[in-house]
Amino acid sequence: MDTSTRAFVFAEPAPAVNDRRWGALRRAARARLAPFGAAVLLAAIVVALAAPLLSPYDPLAQDLGNVLARPGRVHWLGTDNVGRDVLSRVIWGTRVSLVAGFVSVAIAAAAGGVLGMLAGYAGGRADGVVMRLMDAVLSLPPLVLALALGAVLGAGLTGVLLALGVVYTPAFARLMRGQVLSVKTRDYVEAARALGASGWWIARRHVLPNAATPIVVQASLSVAFAILAEASLSFLGLGIQPPAASWGSMINAGRGYLQQAPWIVFGPGAALFVTVVALNFVGDAIRDGLDPRLRG
Amino acid sequence: MAEVVLRRLLATVPVLLLVTAGVFALLHLTPGDPVDAMMAESADASTKESLRRELGLDRPIAVQYAAWMGRLLRGDLGRSIRNGEPVLENVSRRIRPSLQLALLAMAIALTIAFPVAIASAVRHNTGVDRLGTTFALFGICMPNFLLALLLIFVFGVTLRWLPISGYLDPLEEGWSGLRSLILPAVTLGLALAAVITRTLRSSLLEALAEDYVRTARAKGLSEWVVIRGHVLKNALIPVVTVLGLQLGTLIGGAVITEYVFALPGVGRLVVDAVFARDYPLVQGVILLIALGFIVSNLLVDLLYGYIDPRIRLR
Amino acid sequence: MVTRRDFVKSCAVASGAAVVGLRPGAAAAADGPKKGGTLRVGFYIEAATMDPHLSGSKVDRQVYHNIYEPLVTLDTRLGIKPGLAESWSQPDPKTLVFKLRRGVKFHDGTDFNAEAAKFNFDRMKTEPKSIRKGEVANIDTVEVVDAATLKVNLKKADASLLATLTDRAGMMISPKVVQERGVELGRNARGAGTGPFEFVEWVKDDHLLIKRNESYWNKQGGPYLERVRYRPIPDDTVKLQSLQGGEIDVIDYVQPRDVAAVKTDKNVMVVDVPSLADFAYQLNHGRPPFNVKALRQAVAYAIDLEQIVKGVWLNVGYPANGPIPPTSWAYDKAIPPIKRDLAKVKARLAEGGKPGGFEFTMTTNNIPLSVQEAEVIQAQLREAGITMKIRLVDASTLISDGNAKNFEMISFQWSGRPDPDGNVYQFFKTTPGTSFNWSGISHPQLDALLDRSREVSAQAERKKIFSEVTKILQDELPMIFIVHPIEPKAFSQRVQGYEAIPDGMMRFKDVWLK
Repeated sequence: MDTSTRAFVFAEPAPAVNDRRWGALRRAARARLAPFGAAVLLAAIVVALAAPLLSPYDPLAQDLGNVLARPGRVHWLGTDNVGRDVLSRVIWGTRVSLVAGFVSVAIAAAAGGVLGMLAGYAGGRADGVVMRLMDAVLSLPPLVLALALGAVLGAGLTGVLLALGVVYTPAFARLMRGQVLSVKTRDYVEAARALGASGWWIARRHVLPNAATPIVVQASLSVAFAILAEASLSFLGLGIQPPAASWGSMINAGRGYLQQAPWIVFGPGAALFVTVVALNFVGDAIRDGLDPRLRG
Repeated sequence: MAEVVLRRLLATVPVLLLVTAGVFALLHLTPGDPVDAMMAESADASTKESLRRELGLDRPIAVQYAAWMGRLLRGDLGRSIRNGEPVLENVSRRIRPSLQLALLAMAIALTIAFPVAIASAVRHNTGVDRLGTTFALFGICMPNFLLALLLIFVFGVTLRWLPISGYLDPLEEGWSGLRSLILPAVTLGLALAAVITRTLRSSLLEALAEDYVRTARAKGLSEWVVIRGHVLKNALIPVVTVLGLQLGTLIGGAVITEYVFALPGVGRLVVDAVFARDYPLVQGVILLIALGFIVSNLLVDLLYGYIDPRIRLR
Repeated sequence: MVTRRDFVKSCAVASGAAVVGLRPGAAAAADGPKKGGTLRVGFYIEAATMDPHLSGSKVDRQVYHNIYEPLVTLDTRLGIKPGLAESWSQPDPKTLVFKLRRGVKFHDGTDFNAEAAKFNFDRMKTEPKSIRKGEVANIDTVEVVDAATLKVNLKKADASLLATLTDRAGMMISPKVVQERGVELGRNARGAGTGPFEFVEWVKDDHLLIKRNESYWNKQGGPYLERVRYRPIPDDTVKLQSLQGGEIDVIDYVQPRDVAAVKTDKNVMVVDVPSLADFAYQLNHGRPPFNVKALRQAVAYAIDLEQIVKGVWLNVGYPANGPIPPTSWAYDKAIPPIKRDLAKVKARLAEGGKPGGFEFTMTTNNIPLSVQEAEVIQAQLREAGITMKIRLVDASTLISDGNAKNFEMISFQWSGRPDPDGNVYQFFKTTPGTSFNWSGISHPQLDALLDRSREVSAQAERKKIFSEVTKILQDELPMIFIVHPIEPKAFSQRVQGYEAIPDGMMRFKDVWLK
């Protein structure tokens, strides 16, 4: 299916490997890749933060006399259709993509977490309403939902962040609700309840720490997809406003020049691909590392 | 069994209500309306006003929604504002290419995923496994539009083996129809193959660790027989889930692929309708897609219960 | 830089030559026109309706000009020549008398005559969903004098009406088809027109098919083609590649970025068709900052038109001096486009009370070329000390914001009309309420000139009036005009006999396949 859609459907659940030998072996394999992923991710974050220092040229500086220049010593990744340095734009684009990924997932985790807790705790009617709402969001084609939300919220990165946040919320809501439900019935919780502890205290003391793990796992896996999703939305014309660029919008703008100047597409394309791959490595490592069933 | 199905279907009614109301609200909050879009080259205010009145666009939103609901309960999904045809007809015209694309993509995905996943699981932690997982990872991480453009460039323009745009119905045109679907199906199928490979490999590994497998191996059966005979069936369950979810969203979600390859599918229909503010069409198609998604979920759950008696619907 | 001599020269080449680019040498053609074959055409979207009276979209017209015929039609120099009307006269400024061609039949076999023509005009005026109402607003009544004579009574003198009748407003539909088929006509136009081709079928979202009219009244020349098949291909790159790959034979537009490369492709011929269009940005006179004339002029002087046409449009277009394109007889080449002048920018900024510059938002369409142009303008303005923010919206929102005057500076791309009035009147005449006068300009002298341009019928005098108008427009700046685009059309080598007419419509009557 479309990356666009796939990026919205969160990753498959973590497999439970209950045999020690297999588990250890798998962890070893992962361990080799995870540092690589972490290194790339760290590099991306550094690049994003230090963009003004690392970028060889002003990403907005146009040079209409030198458009579509091939990669070379002066411009390592060539220039685009208005003569801007592609490498500089890729570097600055890192900020946008990482922000899009992390912020939208943060929004989804926060909103979904709150909704899930509400549903889990209140139970009954409120639970029903919240879950039906989540189902409603899930049954819409994600791209269409993001498009409609984007059109209403107006152009710009904020609109995209909110739209993606909404689309990913159900996953976190379900997760949190599940956690609350499972913790609610535990003995020590009932004991605490009997002793007069308030819901909030129980939430803070028991629910959140337990829920933290699966939420972090889910979040880490979602960030990669959120970055891809932002790129897909840019393809359809939503998102970051010019002249700023995200990798997705650069690929979209450059796709008409694929034959003449493929570097406009492949520069950001490679950056996008490598970052998403690295995030997947890291996400998998976190999942395997935190999975209680894999430990000992 | 029947009552379970019925109860599930009834439970979806509030969801569908939420979906349609939400979409309705969103659409009407978006600036621009269908009349402006239709009459882009004319500023004739009086014609626009009379058109708006005729379409009921001058009434308050709640009234419009109620009217739409009323028509819906009578089985009338309304007519597209742009071409005046019943929504159902618009959709049914587009379903065929979307469905064919989805099925072909799935076929390609399964053809690739099964051997790769099985080989990876069997030759666990060897070079083969590494290759398999790498392929799966790359497939998931590759931006779909990039893949589409590359395929067009290589196979369509440079090698000229395959048509790069347009749709010919394989059921009517046979081989040429199939050729027109190959590139888009491969674009979707490779990505899908990656997801399925991952899922299948994980569940195969899990199943391979079960006790009964160790017993079978101890009995001296070859790895292949073990897999075919015992493991595969159990490992299929998560794959079935994934496939079920994908079919539901593949039909409405292959928007970018449909755009790039100029396929007249459902995904593009919705997006074009949103851009043109064709309210009845968007409402109707969203409703149908949501319904389709819910039904396919239900089918998957039922299938689950059939494959594995341990997971019966309660 | 495109010098004035250059673009006048290219106008002559494009509009003067009868058959552009494709026939190797008219006399030398040993292989004359051959009958037969299916021409496969790729457009960016498909038609919206087959009913010319209800049509609002430009792509519809492409099909109409092959299956329907207007009363009068255009030649390569935008002159008006006979169509279904053999001749016409104006006994007084408020009356037009058409002598209609005899012996013409609609595709359904019924006769075309004055009765049928009257039916059409009445329908345009009275049909509730008719989009032609505004175009025929000046027509008061239509009388049938005899079977071949039609008398049109106007409310006011209108020199631009004849040109309007060369397109949809002048197209004749068979009354029998309208009466029998009603609203179905939008989807099925079988038997409805009189043109060299007739409608066969329209499979929505897939293709539209028309076939040769064997009993076409004009025995000179074509139609030669057996059939023409239109297909919508929304993606520009895919469309071009389909042509280059031999899957289709004709495309309606080549993006400027592809033109140079395509011209070197030996399988494909490119014809540069200078269009009637003008692309501009409307400035909102009703709200800050552009309610201040000096600030409008500051922006106009800060923009480097030539750089935009060269760098963004890659010279696939001409810098604009106003709304009237170089292809028009009314174009005044003595009025230069506004030239960039940073000193004047400073002066105007001071005059407008913003010596340190100011900030505003430009609303524009979310398509690659528009985005690119906006980015270049943003950079140019930044050099001059003016900060411009870009707001991208989709087409529906753009139209809606424009109509509601909810913008500061907004992109406006008008496809153009054969008579200069079509590019001018409704945009600059004082009009209360919703109209295409998005800027809200209300200039009494301008209003007077615009009205006179319609009353006067002599071309030379009208041209003088339009020159006056253009000068005022360059001063008052309801719009900043950027470019008159060229519409490059591309064909496979097999296609012969195409004649480029500046309205950009692709008429296939005399086209044949090698």
